Amino acid sequence: MTDDTPDFIIAVVDDDQRVLESLQTLLESANYGVRVFASGPTLLESGCVAKIDGLVSDVAMPEMDGFELSRRIRAVRPTLPIILITGHAAMWKLAPPDSLGDYRLLEKPFDGVDLLAVVADALRNTWKPQP
Amino acid sequence: MLKTAAVVDAEEHFFLSTLSPGSAQKRIALFVVLGLVVVFALITGGLFPGTQGSRVNAFVPAYLTAMFVCDSITATLLFAEFSILRARAILVIASAYFFTALILIPYALTFPGVFTTNGLLGGLQSAACVYVLWHFGFPVFVIGYVLWKDRRPSSPAWNGSTRTAIAQSIALTAVLVAVAGFVCIAGEAWLPPIMLDTARFGPQWPYLVGAPIALISISALIVLWLRGRSVLDLWLLVVMFLYLIEVPLSYYPAPSRFSGGWYAVRIFGFSASSLVLIVLLYEIETLYARLLGAVLAQRREREARLMTGNAIAATIAHEVKQPLTAIATSAAAGFRFLDRPTPNLDRAKEAFRQIVADGHRAAEVVGSIRAMFKNDVRTRTALDVNDLIREALALEHSDLLKHRIQVEADMDGRLPEVRGDRVQVQQVLLNLITNAIEAMAVIEEPRVLRVNSKPYESDGVVISVADTGAGISARDSERIFNPLFTTKPDGMGMGLSICRAIIEAHDGRLWVAPNPPRGAIFQFSLRSRASLVSDSGAEARARL
Repeated sequence: MTDDTPDFIIAVVDDDQRVLESLQTLLESANYGVRVFASGPTLLESGCVAKIDGLVSDVAMPEMDGFELSRRIRAVRPTLPIILITGHAAMWKLAPPDSLGDYRLLEKPFDGVDLLAVVADALRNTWKPQP
Repeated sequence: MLKTAAVVDAEEHFFLSTLSPGSAQKRIALFVVLGLVVVFALITGGLFPGTQGSRVNAFVPAYLTAMFVCDSITATLLFAEFSILRARAILVIASAYFFTALILIPYALTFPGVFTTNGLLGGLQSAACVYVLWHFGFPVFVIGYVLWKDRRPSSPAWNGSTRTAIAQSIALTAVLVAVAGFVCIAGEAWLPPIMLDTARFGPQWPYLVGAPIALISISALIVLWLRGRSVLDLWLLVVMFLYLIEVPLSYYPAPSRFSGGWYAVRIFGFSASSLVLIVLLYEIETLYARLLGAVLAQRREREARLMTGNAIAATIAHEVKQPLTAIATSAAAGFRFLDRPTPNLDRAKEAFRQIVADGHRAAEVVGSIRAMFKNDVRTRTALDVNDLIREALALEHSDLLKHRIQVEADMDGRLPEVRGDRVQVQQVLLNLITNAIEAMAVIEEPRVLRVNSKPYESDGVVISVADTGAGISARDSERIFNPLFTTKPDGMGMGLSICRAIIEAHDGRLWVAPNPPRGAIFQFSLRSRASLVSDSGAEARARL
């Protein structure tokens, strides 16, 4: 891992600009390449989906929620590591999304170090078959 | 003592003695009276043979037993109503029914043919004399009831123990009946000749029996007609009419016991006795249904309120989580930039700038909560603070009971009127009481919740909620009002900060003080309507 060339590109989606910025800073501090998007549709239309190595997305967003976004991305990228962050863990337990495949969930407010650990773990597991 | 008087005011539409009769009730009463007049006309017109009817000895004990049961139940119900309403007038009318029940005992003992051919006790005139006292006494009680009801409308409440009052009334009535019975039995020799023999009335009956009973019944009728207002008064009016109609029926067409008219009078008497009882039972059932409806409505309202409270809390929680997430995330990033072999200071500075910005944003969230409560000036109405306290205590009643918490409410009756959002102020009060209950639930007894209302700084009101819980340390006494500060394992720490936001939006203050020797006193002030008006006037002048 060097300071200049990121090994992985992570897409971050959150409708809250400040959360988005802080996530970008955090992921960049761990040498990831980061693409930020204010909404699900912006990511889907950006043409980035094929190039990213992981997705960190908020759940509760207007227009398209994190579940719907994950579902659509899974259709093109079935093994892409997905990390969802939510302020309403209770809502999640009430309505567990089906056909979402493998995902990680973090409840807001979370520890930045924990998020990085989860991201690293998800990427490692996904890339293990291709050493 | 203020407490009880005000409770009566708020709940008086649930009591027979204070409830106004509806037009349907009045119509039914009128039909009953008209029906009685028709029956009366038929009897005097010769429906029943005026000759000596067949003497059925079993009729009298059966009739007296039924009367006794009826009047005793009526008296019990009215005594029960007194114990709730504490109005002395109710005590008088309850005693009246107890009197008519008790006086049946000397009547039965002296009536010829009930126990022995000539009556167990006394002589020929005894039963007739008891009858006179009975039928004269009841209207006197009724007149007393109506006049007492009107005499002191400002201080109707009985302050002492209701049990003592009821016991005294029962004892007094019993003594009265004992004296009456004694006079009629022991003084039989000196009594005027009402009866010729065990069946026939003498020629002086109209003057000795008829006239006094008729006069007192008419007086009672007039008093009830002029002063009566409640359902109970309406039916007492009908009862007094029955008493009046008994008089001519007893003497015409046949002045004798066991005539057709005499039997009719007994039936009238029994109707009179059961009438108020039937109405009481019917009304109790109706009022019970209404009360149940009111309780259910109140419960629904409370649930709706709690839901609003939860929704506000959830919104605030979500709003606060966003900047907190950003702060934690940026802090971790800043740390990582500094922790590298070659620290990236520019990126670290950027991360810290983000933390500062998000800190400000968290403060703004709290500010916006305050603004959220400030916006609702339109929903401000005149508040009866004592009413709010009573309502809050009623809502928390089962929790207070469950935790065996003793409640002391001391409400000042001369509070200035304050304005505010009723639901919001009620939420503050409920929140403070709930906190007090939770603080005391974990400690040893005695657990005392004291809720006071007092005038404050010449133009306002201060409400205090004191508990005997563990209390709040000096260090925590300001921090507890900060959002996210909580001492409860599952609490969000928003309660008191919202409470303070609400009270400050009402131009009031919320503070906490120790409650020696143990516990905490939360107090909040609200300003009176007048001072708000003058303030806005000053504001307008300042703007000019």
